[in-house]
Amino acid sequence: MSTLVVEDLRKTYPAAGKAAAVEAVRGLSFEVRRGEFFGLLGPNGAGKSTTIGCITTLVRPTGGRIAVDGIDVVARAAEAKRRLAVVPQNRNLDRDLSIRELLLFHGLYFGLPRAAREERALRLLRELQLQDKADSKPAALSGGMQQRAMIARALMHDPALLLLDEPTTGLDPQARRALWDLLKEQHARGLTIVLTTHYMDEADRLCERLAIVDHGRILTEGTPQALRRSLPGGRVLDLWARGGAPLGERLGALAGVQGVEPVTDDEAAHPGVERLRLFVETQDGLLDRVLHEVRAAGAELDHVSLAQPSLEDVYIHLTGKELRE
Amino acid sequence: MTAFLGLLRRDLLVAWRTAPFLLTSALTQPALVILVFGNILPRLGLVADEFRTVMVPGLMAITILMSGVQGVLMPLAADLSGTREVEERLLAPLSARMVAFERIVAGAIQSGIAGLVALPVMMLLVHQVSGVDVKPDWALLLPLVVVSGIVSAAFGLNLGTRVQPRFSGLLFAVVLGPMMLFGCAYYPWASLDALGSVRFVFLVNPLVFMSEAMRLAVTPEVAHMDPLGILAGLAVFAGLLCWAGARSFESRTIL
Ligand SMILES: Nc1ncnc2c1ncn2[C@@H]1O[C@H](COP(=O)(O)OP(=O)(O)O)[C@@H](O)[C@H]1O
Ligand SMILES: [Mg+2]
Repeated sequence: MSTLVVEDLRKTYPAAGKAAAVEAVRGLSFEVRRGEFFGLLGPNGAGKSTTIGCITTLVRPTGGRIAVDGIDVVARAAEAKRRLAVVPQNRNLDRDLSIRELLLFHGLYFGLPRAAREERALRLLRELQLQDKADSKPAALSGGMQQRAMIARALMHDPALLLLDEPTTGLDPQARRALWDLLKEQHARGLTIVLTTHYMDEADRLCERLAIVDHGRILTEGTPQALRRSLPGGRVLDLWARGGAPLGERLGALAGVQGVEPVTDDEAAHPGVERLRLFVETQDGLLDRVLHEVRAAGAELDHVSLAQPSLEDVYIHLTGKELRE
Repeated sequence: MTAFLGLLRRDLLVAWRTAPFLLTSALTQPALVILVFGNILPRLGLVADEFRTVMVPGLMAITILMSGVQGVLMPLAADLSGTREVEERLLAPLSARMVAFERIVAGAIQSGIAGLVALPVMMLLVHQVSGVDVKPDWALLLPLVVVSGIVSAAFGLNLGTRVQPRFSGLLFAVVLGPMMLFGCAYYPWASLDALGSVRFVFLVNPLVFMSEAMRLAVTPEVAHMDPLGILAGLAVFAGLLCWAGARSFESRTIL
């Protein structure tokens, strides 16, 4: 049985005052198997947090069905809440309690007996390296530590499913890596994890399977490897040219070029530069032919790079825009 | 139920830690009023002597109201702030309605304690400044304090969830101030006979019933509203305010 089933989820935030209604999620479906590390990858505003909110009962779905361990989160909210835990995008630690206390109280809310609460809080404080700050209030902790404290809190009631909403946004690179290691370790112990992110490398590194979301819909779904393989060609060639006639069609016609996509994002930062992404097969003489075409169009080559396709390329291929903050 | 009790324990622990602050803010006003109205003004001949016994239960009702409202409003402000600390409560295995109701119970306990601490303090003060003795019926007082606390905290929940934070500064001037002046705290309901049927307009104010309830239990010798009327009024307000408050809490927190 799947630990999480999301079926045709829809959420429209009603109009409020002058703000129009927002269709944040428009028919999202996915399943997460027991023990799986699943990712929702998408830009800001894609509907990731809304989806997490619906799964955790904090947002009321407009339509569709969500079940955690087979328990409908709308009809049997309290039971579903026992099985899930969430590390939200915003830091919402109880500011009136010390870290140790807020772990113990979390355990109390979930009905853990006293001895079990204390034993588990102690263990999590140790595992997440929070002992030194156990008796401090959240405000005295760094961002990375608050993040770990939220994970410790989430693990207090031994959930079947852990959801993390953009857990590394705003962390420094070191704290980010530490968090990745921590999540991998929890996953290795059998925890089912759903993570949202707008970082490609994060999704690529952590997730066994992921869905790319945009505008409240899933564009594609699969393992990171399969998603990369789904691109035409096998390599990506990034090319910036300045001046001259438009290059897209010319280059697309070349042998070995499987597809061309304009990178339209960020035009303001690079005025007068045509940015193209070519999906290519590596062939002898390909770069030569490309260069020749650019010259023939009267353009000047600004930059060229050949790379293994990344998830970002998959995203650009699907949406025609770059995935950025 | 464990989740409910756990949240209650957490709230009472946090309130206990700020108890000196909470009690100071609850007791200052009644103490000063007793000093001015119980000693200075009567000596100047500006206030009738009976006022001393009239105001004690009224001040107690006001203390309960203000502590109850504060006891819910302040934590609610953190709950609904940008960081949404309320999520931790909403994720506990109980319904959003019960989360709201727990807030009311926590506020009611705080306000009941404030009222029960205020009363002996006021009795002592009144005795000191004017030599008047008040003899409350404690057995009757206790349940009335509990219900009054629930009414106050539930009222606070409605204020906190229905009034936008930027207007919260106006609450005292526009809502709580008038409530206190028109809440039969400084004059018994019976004396409003002089106003004819206009006096029934006063009944939209829950503080009227709280003041009369305290009057009934603290100074039974002073004319007060029919006990059944008091109970009915408190029960109706408690039910209505809890229901409306929980609904509005739910719609503010579950998006
Ligand atoms: N409480 C809300 N009320 C109205 N609109 C909202 C609310 N929360 C999010 N939205 C809108 O819904 C869309 C999806 O937002 P969100 O789920 O936060 O996306 P993500 O987490 O992927 O950045 C955005 O357009 C956002 O502005
Ligand atoms: Mg988000």
